[in-house]
Amino acid sequence: MAIESMPAFAHDEAVDFVVVGSGSAGGIIARELTVQGFDVVVFEQGPYRQAEDFSHDEIGVLFSGELLGGAASQLGQTFRDDESKAAGLPESEMEPPAYYARTVGGSSVHFSGNYWRLREIDFRERSVLGPIAGTTFADWPISYDELEPYYTRVDWEIGVSGAPGPFDAPRSRPYPVPPMPIKSSGAILERAAKKLGLHPQPAPVAILSAPHNGRAACVHCGYCMSFGCEVGAKSSTLATMIPEALATGRCELRPLSTVFRLETGKDGRVDEVLYYDADGRERSQKAKAVVLSANGAETPRLLLDSASSAHPDGLANSSGFVGRNLMFNCHSIANGVFERQLNDYKSIQVTRIVHDFYETDPARGFYGGGGIDARPLFSSTPILHAMAGMPPDAPRWGREFKEMLAHDYTRQMSIIGNTTSLPLDRNNVTLDPTYRDRFGRAALRITYRDHDDDLAIAAFLQERALELFDAAGARRSWAYPVHAQRSGAHLLGTCRMGDDPQTSVVDRYHRSHEVQNLFLCDGSSFVTSGRGQPTLTIMALAFRAAEHIAAAARANEI
Amino acid sequence: MSGNELTRRLFLRGSGSLAGSAALRATLPGLAALVQAACSARDAGADFVNLGADEARDIEAITARILPTTDTPGAREAGVIWFIDRAVGDFLAPGLPALRSGLDEFNAALTEAYPGSGRFPDLDEADQDAFLATRDDTPLFQLLRVATLMGMFCLPDYGGNHDYVGWKLLGLDPHAHAHTPPFGHYDAEYPREHADGD
Repeated sequence: MAIESMPAFAHDEAVDFVVVGSGSAGGIIARELTVQGFDVVVFEQGPYRQAEDFSHDEIGVLFSGELLGGAASQLGQTFRDDESKAAGLPESEMEPPAYYARTVGGSSVHFSGNYWRLREIDFRERSVLGPIAGTTFADWPISYDELEPYYTRVDWEIGVSGAPGPFDAPRSRPYPVPPMPIKSSGAILERAAKKLGLHPQPAPVAILSAPHNGRAACVHCGYCMSFGCEVGAKSSTLATMIPEALATGRCELRPLSTVFRLETGKDGRVDEVLYYDADGRERSQKAKAVVLSANGAETPRLLLDSASSAHPDGLANSSGFVGRNLMFNCHSIANGVFERQLNDYKSIQVTRIVHDFYETDPARGFYGGGGIDARPLFSSTPILHAMAGMPPDAPRWGREFKEMLAHDYTRQMSIIGNTTSLPLDRNNVTLDPTYRDRFGRAALRITYRDHDDDLAIAAFLQERALELFDAAGARRSWAYPVHAQRSGAHLLGTCRMGDDPQTSVVDRYHRSHEVQNLFLCDGSSFVTSGRGQPTLTIMALAFRAAEHIAAAARANEI
Repeated sequence: MSGNELTRRLFLRGSGSLAGSAALRATLPGLAALVQAACSARDAGADFVNLGADEARDIEAITARILPTTDTPGAREAGVIWFIDRAVGDFLAPGLPALRSGLDEFNAALTEAYPGSGRFPDLDEADQDAFLATRDDTPLFQLLRVATLMGMFCLPDYGGNHDYVGWKLLGLDPHAHAHTPPFGHYDAEYPREHADGD
C-alpha cells in the first residue's frame, strides 16, 4: 500500500513545501509537486479515513457531523448576520457557519460532485455589466481560455462523467466517461424543461459512470451527499491524487494535525509552520515554501492568526482583503411529489440540469444568474426526509403522518436553484473576540448576509422550479420562502486573486503579493462566485497553480 | 427559538461524542459496547439500561402514537424505545434532564386531564391521541418525535429499526447496498419516450 512508502521528514530541516490542507486543492498540489520531485509535508486537521471507513450511518454522518468534526457548536465557529452584532454559536447543530469536512481529501470526500465549468462570462462579468454599488465586484485576472487546459486535466486525471451541453464554454477534449444513467428526477426535469422551451442537459459530475484510471464505477448505493464513497467512485482527492502523491515516496501526510500559525523570518519569508498534533501538542515544521489550501474559511483565519509586529493585520494582508468578500453562493429549493415511484434515494444526486438562466439578464432588474438541477435532496435518506422533507401542512405525527411518509419517500424530489453571490466587504471571516475553539484559539467568526440581488435570483429560480413541477404534472409541489443563509459549504473569495496588490491577496499565479514564498490556492482565490458549483474550478486552479509553483521553484524564483 | 430548533439543540449538542469514522471507532470502544449492549439486551429481554421502567413505558407509548402500529409495523415493533434507552446514555445524554422534567410535566398535565386514569399507556388510543394533541408543541414531544424518527430509520446497530421494519415501511430493500438502472418509474419510461421522439 502506498502509505508504506511515506517518508518522515525532520521537523527542524526545511522541507521543500508544506501544503496545509489535503482537500480539492491541497491534494492536487501535493501530487503535482511530489511527482515533479519536490519533498512535501501535507497537513490535514482531520483523520485519514479511507473508502472502507465510510458508512451508511445517517445519524453519524448527517446529524452528528461525523465527517465535519462534530456537531456545529463543537467546531469553534461563531456566526452573525451583521458586523454591528456580537456573534454567537450556531443556532442549529446541523449547520456549522462554515461547512466543510475534516478528513483527508477534505470536502471532496463528502460533496455531491456537481462539476460545472465556469464560462467565459464568469471571468469578465464586471467589465460586461459595469460596477455594482456597495460591492467589490471585479473581473478575474485570468480568462476561461487560460484555465481551460486545467479543467480538462481535472476531467481526465480526477475523473468527470458528462456530455457537453448547449451553453457550455468550448472544451479541448471530450469527457473521459459518459454521463451517469438518468434517474427519475432527471427524466422529470428533462421532460418538463423541454415542454417549457428550455434546454436540459446531462449533469457533469465527479463520480465515475465507468471504470477510469484504475478506479471502479459507481454502484448507485445512494449515499453520496454528505457521505464518503465506499467504492472510491466519487472523484475525491482521497481516491485520486493522495494515493499518487504518496506513491512518489516524497509526500508525508500528517493527519490529525492542525496548523495554527505561520512564522516569518527577518527576511520576510515564511520559514516555519506551527501546528497541534494528534495529541494536541504544539509542534513545528520548517519549510522552504508554504502553500495554504485549507479552504476559504481556514486559509484566511490562519493568515489572521499569523499576525506579528511586521504584519499587524495578519500575514499577507496589507490590502485588508484577507477574509473579506466571502461568497456562499445562494440557493433555493422547491419540492414535488409524483404519482409513481421515483426511487430517487438510489444512485447519485443530480443527473439533469438546466442552464438557460445562467447569465445575468438586465431585464430581471437585478444582478445574478444560476443553474437548476433535479435531485432527491431530502428524500435521499429516511431520517432527513422525515425531519426536513415533508410539506408545511403535513401532519407531524400519527397514522396519517406515517402513511404519508411511507407513500412519499420514494415519490418525492427537489428542484434546486444554484446561484450567484456578490462579493461584499461586510461578508467575511474574522477572529471572534469572545469564543474560543478546543485548542484555545479565537473562534472562526463568520459574518454573512446575502445581498438582496442574491436572494432575488434565488427566488427567481424557485419560481421557475415550481413552474417546472407544474409542467411535469406533479401531484403537489411546495417551497419555503428563500431566506438569508446562516451556513455555507462554498467558501469563496476570502483571499481573492488579482493584479493589484491594493485590492487582492494573491497574484494570478496564487503567490502572495507580499510574502515571496507563500502561496494560497483554494476557494479563497475566487474573484466572483460562479453559479454554485465551485469545486471543479478550485481543482483546475490547483493544477494551474502547481505548474507555476513548480516552475518557479525549479528556476529558484521562490 | 422554535420547539424544533430546541429539540435539535437538545438532541445534537454533544453528539460528537458518539462516533467518528470507523477508524475512530476503533479508539472508541464505548460505541461498540453500546451497540453490542443494545442488541443483546433486546435479545435477552433484559431491563432498560438508562430509563426506569415507568419512564420507558410512558416513552414507548408516546412513540407508538407518533408512528403507530397499523397494518404495518410502527415505533413499537421497530424497538424505538431501545434506541432511546441507549441514546440517553450516550449522545442524547445532554437531553436526559429535559426529557425527565418534560415527562414530569406531561404526567402532571395527564393527571389533571384524566384524574384516576393511571399513566399514559393506560389510556385507550383515542384518549392518548387527544391528550397528545394538547402536548405536541412541547419540547418533550418534539424531542421524542425526533428520537422516534431516528429510532425508526437508523442503522439497526443503534438499537432501533428492528428487523429493518422502518426501511421496509418505506419500500426499501434493506439488503440492497447497490442498485442498477432503471431506478424508478420515470427513468424506466425515459428510453421509450426518446424512442418515440419525445
